[in-house]
Amino acid sequence: MMSAPKVAVLFGFGINCDHETAAVFNLVGGASERVHVNHFISGQRSLEEFQILAVPGGFSFGDHLGSGRLMGNRMRFALREQLHAFVAAGKPIIGICNGFQVLVKTGLLPGPNAPLPDFVQRASLTLNDSGRYEDRWVTLEFDSKSPCIWTKGMTRMDCPVRHGEGKFVMPSTTDFDALDAGHQLTVRYVDPSTSVGDGITDEPLPFPLSPNGSMRNIAGVCDATGLVFGLMPHPEAVYAKWLHPDHTRNTAPGPESSDALGEWEGEGLQMFRNAVDYVKANL
Amino acid sequence: MAITRVEVTPKQGPGMRDVRGDVVRRQLASDHSISVPEVRSIVGYLIKSEIPSDSIESRVNDLFADPIIEDASTNTLMLTSATHFPTTPDAIVTVGFKAGVTDNPGSAALDGFRTIFPQANDASISTYITYAFFGLPEQVDVSWLANTLHNNLIERALVADAAACAVGQWPEIEYTEKPPQTFEAPSHVDMEISDEALIELSETGLLALNLEEMQTIQAHYRDNTVRQARTEAGIVADAPTDVELECLAQTWSEHCKHKIFASKIHHIDTETGEEATIDSIFKTHIMKPTHDMQKEVDWLLSVFHDNSGVIAWDDEWSVCMKAETHNSPSALDPYGGAMTGIVGVNRDILGTGLGARPIANTDVFCFGPPTWEGNLPDNLFHPSRVFRGVHAGVRVGGNESGIPTVNGAIVFDDRYIGKPLVYCGTIGIMPRRLPDGRESHIKTPVAGDIVYMVGGRVGYDGIHGATFSSLELTEESPSSAVQIGDPITQKKMIDMVLEARDLGLITCITDNGAGGLSSSIGEMAEYTNGCEIDLAKVPLKQAGLSAWEILVSESQERMTIAVKEEDRDAFDALAALHEVEATAVATFTDSGVFHVKYDATTVAYLPIEFLHDGVPQLQLESEWTAPIVEPFVPPTDADHADLLLKMLARPNIASKETWVRQYDHEVIAQTAIKPFVGVKRDGPGDAGLIAPIHGNPHGLVISCGIAPRYSDLDAGAMAAASIDEAVRNAVCAGVDVDKIAGLDNFCWPDSIESVKTPDGRFKLAQLVRANRELERVCRAYRLPCVSGKDSMKNDYGTGEKKISIPPTLLFSLFGDQPDVRYTATSDFKNAGDKVYLVGRSHHELGASEIAFMLKESGQTTGIGGTPPQLPNPEQNLNTYRALSTAIQSGIIQTAHDCSEGGVGVAVAEMCIGGRLGATIDLDGTGDEHLWARLWGESLGRFIVAVAPEKEHEFTAWMSGHPITVLGEVVEGPTLTITDGYTEIASTNVEEMVASWQSTLDMTGGVE
Repeated sequence: MMSAPKVAVLFGFGINCDHETAAVFNLVGGASERVHVNHFISGQRSLEEFQILAVPGGFSFGDHLGSGRLMGNRMRFALREQLHAFVAAGKPIIGICNGFQVLVKTGLLPGPNAPLPDFVQRASLTLNDSGRYEDRWVTLEFDSKSPCIWTKGMTRMDCPVRHGEGKFVMPSTTDFDALDAGHQLTVRYVDPSTSVGDGITDEPLPFPLSPNGSMRNIAGVCDATGLVFGLMPHPEAVYAKWLHPDHTRNTAPGPESSDALGEWEGEGLQMFRNAVDYVKANL
Repeated sequence: MAITRVEVTPKQGPGMRDVRGDVVRRQLASDHSISVPEVRSIVGYLIKSEIPSDSIESRVNDLFADPIIEDASTNTLMLTSATHFPTTPDAIVTVGFKAGVTDNPGSAALDGFRTIFPQANDASISTYITYAFFGLPEQVDVSWLANTLHNNLIERALVADAAACAVGQWPEIEYTEKPPQTFEAPSHVDMEISDEALIELSETGLLALNLEEMQTIQAHYRDNTVRQARTEAGIVADAPTDVELECLAQTWSEHCKHKIFASKIHHIDTETGEEATIDSIFKTHIMKPTHDMQKEVDWLLSVFHDNSGVIAWDDEWSVCMKAETHNSPSALDPYGGAMTGIVGVNRDILGTGLGARPIANTDVFCFGPPTWEGNLPDNLFHPSRVFRGVHAGVRVGGNESGIPTVNGAIVFDDRYIGKPLVYCGTIGIMPRRLPDGRESHIKTPVAGDIVYMVGGRVGYDGIHGATFSSLELTEESPSSAVQIGDPITQKKMIDMVLEARDLGLITCITDNGAGGLSSSIGEMAEYTNGCEIDLAKVPLKQAGLSAWEILVSESQERMTIAVKEEDRDAFDALAALHEVEATAVATFTDSGVFHVKYDATTVAYLPIEFLHDGVPQLQLESEWTAPIVEPFVPPTDADHADLLLKMLARPNIASKETWVRQYDHEVIAQTAIKPFVGVKRDGPGDAGLIAPIHGNPHGLVISCGIAPRYSDLDAGAMAAASIDEAVRNAVCAGVDVDKIAGLDNFCWPDSIESVKTPDGRFKLAQLVRANRELERVCRAYRLPCVSGKDSMKNDYGTGEKKISIPPTLLFSLFGDQPDVRYTATSDFKNAGDKVYLVGRSHHELGASEIAFMLKESGQTTGIGGTPPQLPNPEQNLNTYRALSTAIQSGIIQTAHDCSEGGVGVAVAEMCIGGRLGATIDLDGTGDEHLWARLWGESLGRFIVAVAPEKEHEFTAWMSGHPITVLGEVVEGPTLTITDGYTEIASTNVEEMVASWQSTLDMTGGVE
């Protein structure tokens, strides 16, 4: 068995979920390190040192000119080669919230219908229909046929969203159909009253079931390889049951026991374990 | 250089929405009942650069426009495009910043511009937004519309009305240069003038110093030893320079020196005949009790002297908290003023010890009623606008900094129209010891250390903030006293500073807030007894600032940090990595002198002792006579079910969810109790609870209490109620009551008797009574105040038009919570759970929310009577400890404090949280008067619910404490309240939800 997979957690310029994102990888056997974006841009550090890359949530550059845009540009122009090599080496990347916005705007997500990235932006995340930034809990359901390595075995979870620009849009329905055919529409907002496995629908759900008016209720997508994944909700913020709003009602969902937090592991941790396990098994 | 204009507008089409325009549309509907079918928006960029327009145009989709969702035009107005605007709008309003005002989108755009055009070093970008209105009702005046969309203190607006639109006369905002600033060589100020002239000098110069203080300064320059030292230093001997006078005015301001809390007060109580002298309220009633408590516990690490109070949380970590107010700036510019409030208090945490990491915010606001329909004094905004602006500023400041807002409150009273109160608090965490072994709560500077200014640059914004906030608000209040924060610049700085701390590079750190460098370096220089500053080294936003302006400017996002000479390279490299500007501007000395130069010229030479301790103590008069207030007489024919629905809709009680949900309360993944709780996550939370170390359930509770209504009867009762509420809220989360610390933030009207303030003695007596109660209750609760602040000039106008706020104490609390897995929330959990009242209800309906409501509706005429009292706080503490440990032991998972609106409202809120009904019997819960038991706000009370199988354990645990069975939680939607066999009220939960949620929704409808 290989040693703990090394995880680069980006920070700087207004990224602000770096501490917890680093922590959750460590809870599931990763060895994470918070690395300033400029360390990679200057060449002082290299993405090559790492097996997993996480772009956490936050407000890079204050979301001005559109969320994730300016950070996306820095990465698209200054880290293009390193990112290309990272993806080509089959290493997993996750973008959460602002990190998802960054990956969409670099063009890594949803990416071309090909294994390697071309850094062409095909989708966007725009202002919530409500016009408001909100922190609220939503119900997510995963496409069980998705090639996404991050969501393997996951069915449904409660998760907080915390964003003002989470409405996923693409220019045409055929774009969505193509992604859907490849099961790249990995995770959607669903009505919790539906039964598990039956919640996913293309019809826009009303606010606040869909917190932002996302087309086809999309909460997150993966690239064609399933290695690059991004989502607006914050799975790292559900790493423990004590972070679930229902924990004082004794109904916070999650595994009955785990090596990480015993009976208190939250539903979100599995996503990070999936990536760490994938690296251990495949790289 | 050429100016290139780029305009961007959202694409139209199926599923697409112009959200910025839509927000304006809904706001007009909500705040002004104006229905507009459609509002569209255009964001504009004015780029001043050597880069030719066609090069910029070719990269527009790489930077300014997102080609998936937006269309752009270069050097033509979007409005002229028939493709994008096929229909002619009825009105246009274009809003841009005034020159020199912080333009955050512009700065970010410039950063992005340089990523694409690295050669564009001297470019600058300003932004604007254009709204196009379609179907605007004819009677709506376009200038009025523009006024609702901009603040002319900091922004400019251009408009086109229907006639102009019809002929295509579109407003076009042009790029404007910052007005040139001229450097004025330091001058000296003649102080050998009459007393009248001294006062005039203070007033015209916005110095906010009184005659005695001016005379003290005058005397300093008459002293021969002073003159001789000054001659040797090569500075004008017998008069202050303008730099010195400004520096003294900042340092001696009420804002910085808390002169009223430090004053000697002659206090008379006409009721008891007491006559007493209080030599400093602060030292007597706040500092002394805390220092006494410090002798008894080992966890009070640092109190009063640093930027925030620090307590040991466990062996590895300490935590600290600070709360500030930003009232005057928020009155002038609600958005910018409030934002600088929150990012400013974040810096207090960063500047604590050797640097703490901000991990949670609290926000408490006091506003005029958002539905106010009465007159508004000149120069004041409507309360709904203040509310929106303050909320937006705090939201952006907190969210973009990545700091969760975990607790807060919003309080309404007519008198806050005159001055809104904007309290912002922050909690920080730091390792007890740094890797180099130093204790992180102790600053360690020595003479010779180099002093850096880190973060933002110094500009003309924020000159005279500290002195201005020490004056009442007038129509002439200066715009330079207002700044807009830049959270991202600050976030970069925070990241950098915390790395520098862990690398052991910092010997001393403080923030630049009120008084700017003059205060920050001046205060730090007390450690080594001297400093030498070179103002010419300070990086400026624009050239031409005079020496005194550089010294006192309160431009945001700056820390002052001392570094050892040998660590400078490492510090510079770290700043470069984080793209943070850090400039060495001073050196610590042990000369005893605050020595300021501009290049080689000495412009200020003030003895440290005179600067910090020279201000004369105020002598003030205080006289208490209880105000005569018509008593509250409840109507005899009340429909309590109807009253309950109306009470739930009172702004002071109604749900603030729309607003609170817009704060990120969960970043850092630590928040174990959210602001809203229950099955639908919309019931009220009592306290914030966080587990800041990932993977570890050790918790920290953050709560607050505020009760300004009671000041109408007795500010002492107000203070006691605030403290008790904060403690009870924390108990509901299972706080360890033996490890709690508090913060006192006083906001008072001017309480110095004068022509402007003829009732100054009474207002000062209110302050005395509040502080006496603060001491009594805090001692009883063994609750040390570790930090605090006061804001003492919360008045608007003079004479008959004067509006003074009700004396208001915000009491914030942070405390240890052993394990967040064992805590409680207010929502009823399961039908069959037994409901108990902890504590007793007394006949204390004076200044209650129900009294105010019935007075406002004309059903009664007075609000007077006995306000809630706290006769035996020691006993309360024992009960609180029992209840809190019951929660920590998992016996109880449902607890709610009983405050505004009494048992009636508290039980209703618990039903709302659980979407369950309850049967409640008020018989035997205290005073015989039903109104006291149903609506009274007696202190020391909680409502708890316990699962039937744990009821016996609970009653045994609480044995000896006042608990009474109220009833039980029931399936179904009905809350039934009885008094013995008499039914008093029966209400439907969904009706209660509707009442509670509608008042402050203010969204204009969500889709």
